[in-house]
Amino acid sequence: MAAVTLKNVIKRFGVFEIVHGANIDIDDGEFVVFVGPSGCGKSTLLRMIAGLEDISDGEIAIGGKVVNDVEAADRGIAMVFQSYALYPHMTVEQNLSFGLRMTGNPKADTERRVKRASEILRIAELMKRRPRQLSGGQRQRVAIGRAIVREPQVFLFDEPLSNLDAELRVQMRVEISRLHKELGVTMVYVTHDQTEAMTLADRIVVLNAGNIEQIGAPLDLYDDPANRFVAGFVGSPKMNFLAAKMVGADNGAAVVELVNHRGARLRKPLSDALPATGGDVVLGVRPEHFFDAGQGDCDLTLKADVAEHLGSVSYVYANSGTGGGREELIIEREASRHRANGDDLVVSIKADRSLLFDATGARIR
Amino acid sequence: MRYQNATAYRFLAPYLLIFSIFWLWPIIDSFLISFQATRTVPWRFAPTFNWGRLIGDPAFFNALKNTLLILVIQVPVMISLAIVMAVLLNSPLLKARGLFRFAFFAPVVVGEVAYSAVFRLMFNLDYGIINKLLNGIGLPSVDWFTNVTPAMAVIMMAVTWRWAGYNAIILLAGLQSIPEDVYEAATLDRVSKVKQFFYITLPLLKPIIVFCAVLSIIGTMQLFTEPFLITERGGPGGGTETLGLLLYRQGFRSLNFGYASAVAYTMAGLAIAISLVQIWLTREPK
Amino acid sequence: MTSHSRVSRSQARLGRSIALHLFLTPLALVWLFPLWMMVVFSTMPDNGIFSPDIELLPHGNFLDNVSNLQRGTNFIGAIGISVSVAVTYTFLSVMLTSMAGWALARYNFFGKGMVVAIIFGTITLPYAVVLIPQFIMVARDFKLANTWVALIVPPLFNSLGVLFMRQSFSMMPHELFDAAKVEGVKEWRIFLFVALPLARPMLAALAIILFLASWNNYLWPLLINSKPGAMTAPVALGTLIGLTKVSWGGIMAGAVMLTAPMLVVFVLLQRHFVAGIAAGAIK
Repeated sequence: MAAVTLKNVIKRFGVFEIVHGANIDIDDGEFVVFVGPSGCGKSTLLRMIAGLEDISDGEIAIGGKVVNDVEAADRGIAMVFQSYALYPHMTVEQNLSFGLRMTGNPKADTERRVKRASEILRIAELMKRRPRQLSGGQRQRVAIGRAIVREPQVFLFDEPLSNLDAELRVQMRVEISRLHKELGVTMVYVTHDQTEAMTLADRIVVLNAGNIEQIGAPLDLYDDPANRFVAGFVGSPKMNFLAAKMVGADNGAAVVELVNHRGARLRKPLSDALPATGGDVVLGVRPEHFFDAGQGDCDLTLKADVAEHLGSVSYVYANSGTGGGREELIIEREASRHRANGDDLVVSIKADRSLLFDATGARIR
Repeated sequence: MRYQNATAYRFLAPYLLIFSIFWLWPIIDSFLISFQATRTVPWRFAPTFNWGRLIGDPAFFNALKNTLLILVIQVPVMISLAIVMAVLLNSPLLKARGLFRFAFFAPVVVGEVAYSAVFRLMFNLDYGIINKLLNGIGLPSVDWFTNVTPAMAVIMMAVTWRWAGYNAIILLAGLQSIPEDVYEAATLDRVSKVKQFFYITLPLLKPIIVFCAVLSIIGTMQLFTEPFLITERGGPGGGTETLGLLLYRQGFRSLNFGYASAVAYTMAGLAIAISLVQIWLTREPK
Repeated sequence: MTSHSRVSRSQARLGRSIALHLFLTPLALVWLFPLWMMVVFSTMPDNGIFSPDIELLPHGNFLDNVSNLQRGTNFIGAIGISVSVAVTYTFLSVMLTSMAGWALARYNFFGKGMVVAIIFGTITLPYAVVLIPQFIMVARDFKLANTWVALIVPPLFNSLGVLFMRQSFSMMPHELFDAAKVEGVKEWRIFLFVALPLARPMLAALAIILFLASWNNYLWPLLINSKPGAMTAPVALGTLIGLTKVSWGGIMAGAVMLTAPMLVVFVLLQRHFVAGIAAGAIK
């Protein structure tokens, strides 16, 4: 078991810098998820921890020991790959034991570890099969099993569920959570799927274009994102962003005009310094934070385009019509069969259920 | 990935060693030898000795002429034939595909000596089966090996027989890499099969056709065994002598290594020119 | 679609199919003819080959022809040499070129660009260019003429396998090798126990092509191993062609003995064969 520390870690490929100085402290036994859009550097960061990529600058320590120049095999880590990376010409049993056999681990110990892993993952009956005879979920279990067999201090997962169908993904997510509780080992997990991040993580690291945008517990990121990127990335469906303009101050509260909504105004109390009057700002409202007309602080009149009925809730895709520029919004409503194309829809937003960002995307609290 | 010099070179070293000794160095050495007078020991540096002789040597120009003649006639005929074989073998209408594939591809495994012997026997003046069959349909015998033109024809037929199937294999693989839906779309657009061949198959196959042509040209350029064995050392009277045979005679019969190296580098120069043409023909359109 | 047009469509297909077979069948027969005649000649006595009759069917004289051949030159011994050389050459060449191909596919190293440029930039140079220096080196400098080494080692320079195996290895998922690396498996063991087993079909194709090349190789063995006891089978057979008093039935029997095993291999392993030949061109 070990903590993992990244200090000012930089990765360059030739002249391109793709990770710009990452600082992350992962506690012993913690489950940390790196999340971000593709190309944000999350996989590179994980591969640097694994020892599969060189560290261009900065320091990575595992269990208090700097591992920059330590071979992948000696870092006390095990990795689960996106493609599972099972050896197709070996049986499940051989796959699990391959690394130990090749490195001269005593035979009895290897057998013990393989047995234990197969019990933890309930794959004992698959031991004689080859990877192509397994289903996607079974392959995934074997891949995890191969990591367990190493008895590592840190588990690394590189988008392990992205090749599975939706149902299996949910099932394996629960499985991995259970595994984390059972083994109590540090786990670092990379995904582009924010739902996976939210459901699995103790803490999430949100990455964008080689920068860490925010580190925090799932609900903290949801409630209190540091900037527009995190606000948009965490939560599903995405947060709506409404163009707005500072029109004045009122007792330490900002008064913003929603420029695409016929001059609708919202009074938003702030603790930060108020933005300059006349400046452009953005108001973020999550789909689930629209209320019935008159229930909030400011009513918006919209036209519904399409409604998606999920059963428990409906998502209405609406637009602001001709009240200024046209703005598309997603609104969560209680399930309703009556919404139809072109219907007028009046919703209300609340100051304390909306977030304000400045023109650069930084949060104004 | 980090640089892994030690690991990489440990894997590479055995091959690179052989490659350097028996390929790279000889390429350089051959060039150097072509500038030396090698008739007397010790060899001495004489830059114009071999090259000067080469440009005035009727035997060289005879061999060059014969080689180019074979190239110009045999390669286009063979490549066209190979394209026809490949396209027809690829037809979904074909029955007994395995038998046809065997017939055309089998010569690929036949050694030069074996098939040279067979061709020599088949084209024998008095007892060869070819002349017997010609007589059988009322045509006169052809004296295949004492006249230059029929002797050349035998060489070209032999080489075509041996290598057409080889090229057809490559072309067939190329054909099968063209996605089926391209043809389906063309069929829906009422493009006829013949037009599909000229406007879809040939353009998409062009890089592979060029590759086959270059491979064949470079192979034919070095033609040795066929004129050596079938037409008996380039006979009649040097009428089928090729550059490969000239190199052999100069290098290993007269032991004139310098002159033979100059001949070899002439072939290399031709090969480089051909490769440049290939690169130019298959360049990506801007 | 009306029934009328359906009928005419299937008629058109039938017509095309007949035309196809009418064209291809004679061509195939012409192509098979030399092989067939090789077999016919090899089973005929010499006075039968040189008789004015047209003979198109095999006779029963094959074994007599073989013993005639064996009187002219130790052909059976030469076959033994050819088999041993081809097997050894194939094994060594597959090992050397797959190791080199692996290095080029998997590692970054100093000088990689140059190594690749030199290997693949010289691949189309004619073999004739190196013939003379190779001969001088092996025969005069190393004094290895008429030895096994001379037959086996110099042709190992062939870079076809490097090209082929580099291609094969780089098409395998890299995560497989990363996984083994994370597990602490040494690189040469990853090569031996992960990469090579996965490359088995490609190795088979390469081995067949290399074996065939060595088995049929004529020019180099002709130059370097010309002493009677050291000749390969094609060279031994070649020495008989053109002699005035020689058994042509014997030569044809030799040609059949050289060709028949390769034809069997071809029929049995056609898939690998075709893959090996096509791989050079289709990338």
